[in-house]
This record gives sequence, C-alpha cells and structure tokens, in this order.
Amino acid sequence: MPQPITAKELEYIADSMSNEDLLLKQNAVLASSSSNPALSQLAQQFIQTHQQHYQTLLQTLHQQSGIAPTQPQG
Amino acid sequence: MQHHQSILPDEDLASMILCDLKRVVREYATAATESTCPQIRKLFTDLTNSTLTMQGQLFTAMQQQQMYNTSSPALRQEIDKQGKEYDQTLQKTNQFVQQKLSGMARQPMYYGSQPQFQQPQQSQQTPTYYS
Repeated sequence: MPQPITAKELEYIADSMSNEDLLLKQNAVLASSSSNPALSQLAQQFIQTHQQHYQTLLQTLHQQSGIAPTQPQG
Repeated sequence: MQHHQSILPDEDLASMILCDLKRVVREYATAATESTCPQIRKLFTDLTNSTLTMQGQLFTAMQQQQMYNTSSPALRQEIDKQGKEYDQTLQKTNQFVQQKLSGMARQPMYYGSQPQFQQPQQSQQTPTYYS
C-alpha cells in the first residue's frame, strides 16, 4: 500500500508540470522555426520526452488522489 | 517541415532551453532529496536522470553547431597547485580519521546489557585504515 504524498511533494509535482509545460512550448517553437536540421530534430525528440514526463507526473497525481486524506491530519 | 521565422534566433532559443533544462535538473534533484515517499523519490530521481540526459544532448548539439564557447583550458601550473593543496588536505584528513578511529578503540564503549558489543582486546587494536 503506497503512503499518501506530503503537501511539499504535491507542490514539487505541480511545479514540475509547469516546468515541463514551458519546455514543451519552447521546444515546439524551436522545432518549427529552426533552419538547423540537427536542432529541429532534437527539439522534436524533446517534445516527446517532455510529454512523457508530464504524463508521468499527472498520472502520479491521479493515483495519489485516491489514497489522500480528505481531512487535515493532526 | 516549413520553417517559420521565430522571434528569437536559433542560438538564443536553444540557449534558453539549455538554461531551463539545467534549472529543471536542479529542481528535480532537490525534489528527490526532499521526498518522503519512496515512490515519489524514485519518480523525481528518474526525472532528474532523464532531464540530465536531455541537457547533455542539447549541449553537445549546440557545441557541434559552434553555438557554445567553452571556457579556456586550465593551465598546468593551476592544476598542479590545486592538486598539491588537496594532496595535503587528504593527508591531514586521513590523519584526523585515523586519530578518531584509534580513539574509539582505546575508549571502551558501554552498550548497557549487550555484552556481545564489547570491544575486543585493546592491545590488538592497530588501526590499518588509510595506511
């Protein structure tokens, strides 16, 4: 049985999704605007990895929701 | 793929991403060290490694495109100076550790009612650490 996450861990997960989102957008701009094939290809690859990171973080959040307490714990 | 003109030149955009990847690596590492749940610690550890790999890939790509100037090589005399200094530090620290460990052996420790933890014969204690 996994233990519920702490408030601090929740903050880190939320901040992490915000970071991944920003990097996703930046790489989308680089992939579409770069005239350099090497950079453009790397940016496209990074988009996928950031999407995976985001999904993993979001899934963790959903899993944790099920076991989290609904009242503040003493 | 059709290339749209970006607001920023390639180089600046790539630098921004590299900078953010460096920051995110640090944040993931911090999150891993401050995690309580083993599952969350593993999540942040994996994300640290994955992001660190991406940062390395982007750095290499930028270097190959001559977008990144690494700092000038360290001079041999500077390397030797640091090496000498830290050789001395290491020796002093080893002495310190040896003193502490031999001190431990000389002072019998009392573990209450657990005789199995009694120190062996003191005369036989010759610490061989770092010798």
